[in-house]
Amino acid sequence: MTDAIYPQVRIVSARFLRPDTVERLLNRIIQVGGIRRMSLNGQNLPATVPYGPARGKPNPHPDRKAIRVGDQEVQLRVQVGTIILELEDESYIPAIGEAVDEVFADKDFSCIVQKGRYMKTQPTLSDYAKYGPDADSEILGLVDPRRKDGPVIIQGTK
Amino acid sequence: MAYKPQYGPGTSNVAANRRKQMDPNQKLEKMRDVTDEDIVLILGHRAPGAAYPTAHPPLAEQQEPDCPIRKIVTPTDGAKAGDRIRYIQFADSMFFAPSQPYQRTYTECYRFRGIDPGTLSGRQIVECRERDLEKYSKELINTELLDPARTGIRGATVHGHSLRLAENGMMFDMLQRSVLGEDGIVRYVKNQIGEPLDRAVPIGKPLDEKWLKAHTTIFHSLGGTPYRDDAEYIEYVQRIHTLRTKYGFLPME
Repeated sequence: MTDAIYPQVRIVSARFLRPDTVERLLNRIIQVGGIRRMSLNGQNLPATVPYGPARGKPNPHPDRKAIRVGDQEVQLRVQVGTIILELEDESYIPAIGEAVDEVFADKDFSCIVQKGRYMKTQPTLSDYAKYGPDADSEILGLVDPRRKDGPVIIQGTK
Repeated sequence: MAYKPQYGPGTSNVAANRRKQMDPNQKLEKMRDVTDEDIVLILGHRAPGAAYPTAHPPLAEQQEPDCPIRKIVTPTDGAKAGDRIRYIQFADSMFFAPSQPYQRTYTECYRFRGIDPGTLSGRQIVECRERDLEKYSKELINTELLDPARTGIRGATVHGHSLRLAENGMMFDMLQRSVLGEDGIVRYVKNQIGEPLDRAVPIGKPLDEKWLKAHTTIFHSLGGTPYRDDAEYIEYVQRIHTLRTKYGFLPME
C-alpha cells in the first residue's frame, strides 16, 4: 500500500500509445529520477481470445510486445493509455512535465500530467476476500497480486 | 394531402446527415468497392462460393397455409430460398463515426426489408436471411455509413466505441481485426468474430477528420456540433418526454 506522504502523478495522453512511444516516454521519464513505483494502465490485450465463438484461439496483436526500459525488459499486456507514477517528493513533478512535453512535441495530439491520488491506500474488503490476508500490499490495487511474474525493478536511477 | 415523412427534427448539420441516411429516396454516397467475396470473408458465415445452407425447404416446394398476410407480403430472396438467419454487427466510435447504433437501426428499417435489428449502446446488430444479409452488408460497407478506421465490423468482443483512438487513428479493438498498413489502407485480417482470414481483405483508406466531421451523425460537444446548439432537436425531444411523462400520470391530457 502506498504511504500518503508520497505524491502521485498521472500521465494521460489523448490517444492510446504505440509501444515505441511508450518506450521513448518511459526512458525519458526515468532519466528525471525520483520514481518509487510506476503502473502502466490501458485496455487489456489478451494472448488468446477470452470469449465469443473464437474463444481460446491465439490473438496475435502487434502492440502486445516487450519494450526495453532502462536496463530491463518490460512485457506490455495492455494498450497503454495512462501511466501512474509515485514519486519521492513534489520537486520532480515539473521535470516530469517537461519530459512529457519533449516526447509529445512532434505528435499531433496532447498529453497531460495530473497530480492526485491514484493508487490504493488500504486494502478493501473485496481485496481481502479475493486475495486473502497475505497479498503483496506493494502491488495491491495496481495489478493482480496472484500473477506469478512480479513487478519489473528498474535499477540504477539514483 | 399525402403523408410525407420528415425522418427527424433538427436544423444542424448532424440532423441533416441523419435525415439523409434515413431517407430511402436519397442515394448514399459510394466510398469504396469491396467485392462480394470479400464481404463473405469478413462475415465469416460460409466459405466463399459455397452453397447457402438452408433452414427450411424453399417456399415454392412447401405447402403454405391459406393466410391473407402471406398473400400481401412478397418474400425476400433469402426467405424464398429458405436461407438461415445470419448477422452483421457494427461498432461505431464516438469520435465522429459516420453512423451510430440508433441511426443504423432507423436507416436499415427505412431502407431494407425482412430484417431484425438489435440496438445497443456500443454496437448494432442486424439479422436477416443470409442471401439478403450479403446484399445489405455490401451497401452498409461500401457507402458512407462506414469509415474503415472509426467503424468496426465486430461479431464478438466489440469493446472500443467509447475509448480513445489509437495513435494512428484506429478505434481500439482487442482482437485487432483490422490493421492500418504502411500504405494507409485498412485491411481486415480476421473475420467479424476474430478468426484469422486466409488473406487480408482491404477496405480502403480511413476518411479524413474534415470529412468525418461534415458527415457524422453524432452530436459531440468537444470539437463537433454540440447537441444544445440544435434548439429544434431539443424542443422535439422535450416534447416527447413531456407527453410520455404526462401520459403516465394523466392519460386524459
